[in-house]
Amino acid sequence: MEKRLIKKDVLAGIVGKIAGDVNLVAPVKEEDNVLFELVKDGVTALSSYRNTKNAPKAFFFPRSETLMRYTRKEKGYEFTGLGEDVSGQTVIFGVRPCDARSFVILDLLFDQDKYKDPYYIEKRANTTVVAVGCTKPPYSTCFCTSVDGSPMSTEGADVFLTDLGESYLAEFLTDKGEKLLKYFGDAKADAGAEKKKEEIAQAAAKEIKKTIPAHEIKAWLDANFEHPFWETVHKKCLACGTCTFMCPTCHCFDIQDEVKAADGKRIRNWDSCMFPLFTRETSGHNPRTSQKERWRQRFMHKFRYYVDMFGPIACVGCGRCVMSCPVNIDIRKIAEDISKL
Amino acid sequence: MENVEKKIREEAKKLLADKKVDVVVGYERGTLPLTATPVFITEPDDADRLVYDATCVQNLAKYVHDILSAHKEAQKKVKPEDKKKKVVGVVARGCTSRSLVIQLQERQYGRDDLVVLGVPCNGYIDGKKMGIALAGEEILDGSLTGEGVAVKTSAGEKKIALNDVLADNCLTCRFNNPVISDLMAGDNAPAKAFDREYEKVDAFEQLSTEERWAYFTKEMGKCIRCYACRNACPSCYCKVCFVEQSMPQFVGLSADHTDTQLFQLLRTFHMVGRCVDCGSCISVCPMGVDLRNFLKKLDKDALELFENRAGAKMEDVPPLSTYKENDKEDFIYNP
Repeated sequence: MEKRLIKKDVLAGIVGKIAGDVNLVAPVKEEDNVLFELVKDGVTALSSYRNTKNAPKAFFFPRSETLMRYTRKEKGYEFTGLGEDVSGQTVIFGVRPCDARSFVILDLLFDQDKYKDPYYIEKRANTTVVAVGCTKPPYSTCFCTSVDGSPMSTEGADVFLTDLGESYLAEFLTDKGEKLLKYFGDAKADAGAEKKKEEIAQAAAKEIKKTIPAHEIKAWLDANFEHPFWETVHKKCLACGTCTFMCPTCHCFDIQDEVKAADGKRIRNWDSCMFPLFTRETSGHNPRTSQKERWRQRFMHKFRYYVDMFGPIACVGCGRCVMSCPVNIDIRKIAEDISKL
Repeated sequence: MENVEKKIREEAKKLLADKKVDVVVGYERGTLPLTATPVFITEPDDADRLVYDATCVQNLAKYVHDILSAHKEAQKKVKPEDKKKKVVGVVARGCTSRSLVIQLQERQYGRDDLVVLGVPCNGYIDGKKMGIALAGEEILDGSLTGEGVAVKTSAGEKKIALNDVLADNCLTCRFNNPVISDLMAGDNAPAKAFDREYEKVDAFEQLSTEERWAYFTKEMGKCIRCYACRNACPSCYCKVCFVEQSMPQFVGLSADHTDTQLFQLLRTFHMVGRCVDCGSCISVCPMGVDLRNFLKKLDKDALELFENRAGAKMEDVPPLSTYKENDKEDFIYNP
């Protein structure tokens, strides 16, 4: 594995050069929000930020994505092509370790042995993830260490940057990552830099004060699909999609056809288990009759079903849902409350 | 506000113990600093969880409608002799009480289904303004101190004047005391700067059509269609929202900006004479879309064209529910 040391003030230049050669996605300031966006001319990627409001999953699994196009001919519908042209190399720069881990968790679903999602896989293959470690965890709501992550986890990153104070340690962890080596100069990192990184990583993990019993509650979840506790979670829920749309691992979708005159598009859109329409069947019957069942689903999906199906918990502890829920439904508190039952 | 809080707890406890209400909808402390969250109290002993101060944001009339309409639905499946009444107690400040009036005017439930626990209101803290005041620093701890907010962030402690972080709708609120109430917790709050309520709309009206359209498209461009605005709104209670109708489908589900604009435009127009400027839709928006400007413009139109202030008086006939021969219609000839 290649490692480089770069001076702090050259990073912006490196990012600029990468943006000149490939598509660059990075945190940018949009009015009051910090968002991951495709960096266009005249926009500067932020070098200092906590984390972004939106999760970077959207660059592999967009909010709306055309899967195919068709047109109506006299003899019926005719396939006219796939969706948007997604070819071209992309670098996502400045991903936090929690979000980088979300890609690994999503890979398990979209790129499994049995089912392959070509749209997701193509974008993943064409994208290099440059993660920046949380030398200082950005929020008091962070709980990555409770869900098998850590503020300096390199999982999911192709290149990993650590702020050592005066300089950055850049670790090139994958073949994809090594293709970016040419931008980072020749200064090899010494053992001292690595040692410093270790120290920073340990201190950062200790800074995550909030822990939740994410694994401990699994046995209870396995046994308690029906339990009065589920009556206590959902009452104030607005049934909006904020938590799922902000979440880096939520991935449910709805496929719709949109037709204008003779031309149609088949579009995959984000959906949300919080929406009453989510499970409504053609007959009109809805097996999840109220927000109670919907909340149970969201929680079970993250902490039970995903674990059973793929291994990891489908939560990276970024705290976005905690911070953005309009009525303060706190997933950490639900886990804690369950552990006390 | 501490006395108000004490009074709310006492009254809620009494109402529940005397079985005058089945549930009290109020606010309790949230899990994050300087937040409160809606709570549903059914046991007298739990009434002490109720809080009331400038961190209480949501318009609780939304939940009153939810509870009573769910109850009404459930009662349809019950034999006539087993039918039960459900009475909801609700902590209501000015805007909440106006929303209750609108729901009552629209015959959503009866006045006897409701016990209004009125509270005076000095306004609530706008999260977005707070974020700006703290330059993006995260609130680690905070407390309200009369006219100020003491906040602890990683950058240190800071005192902010309450008026600097109160929501815009609160600063210029005309109805910061309940318009209907069965019990009143505390004395009426002093008036706000309501004579300036249309200042921003007046300025917006001065812009050219192109400028106004540009602002509208910019704001709608932020919308991610999570529908938090609609779902938080006490006046948005349609059983099936037009965006979710599938036969026929009015609005596409994709992130196409025209679909987003159509959703927001239609929602806004459904609010003529029905928006009480409680700010719930704005406070819940994760992306910070400025919906208020457009809603307030319609509010101004309802006042100027139909002499209506939404939910101000029980006796009023809402503009969308009536027709008068002398209704102004010059806009038809003079666009």
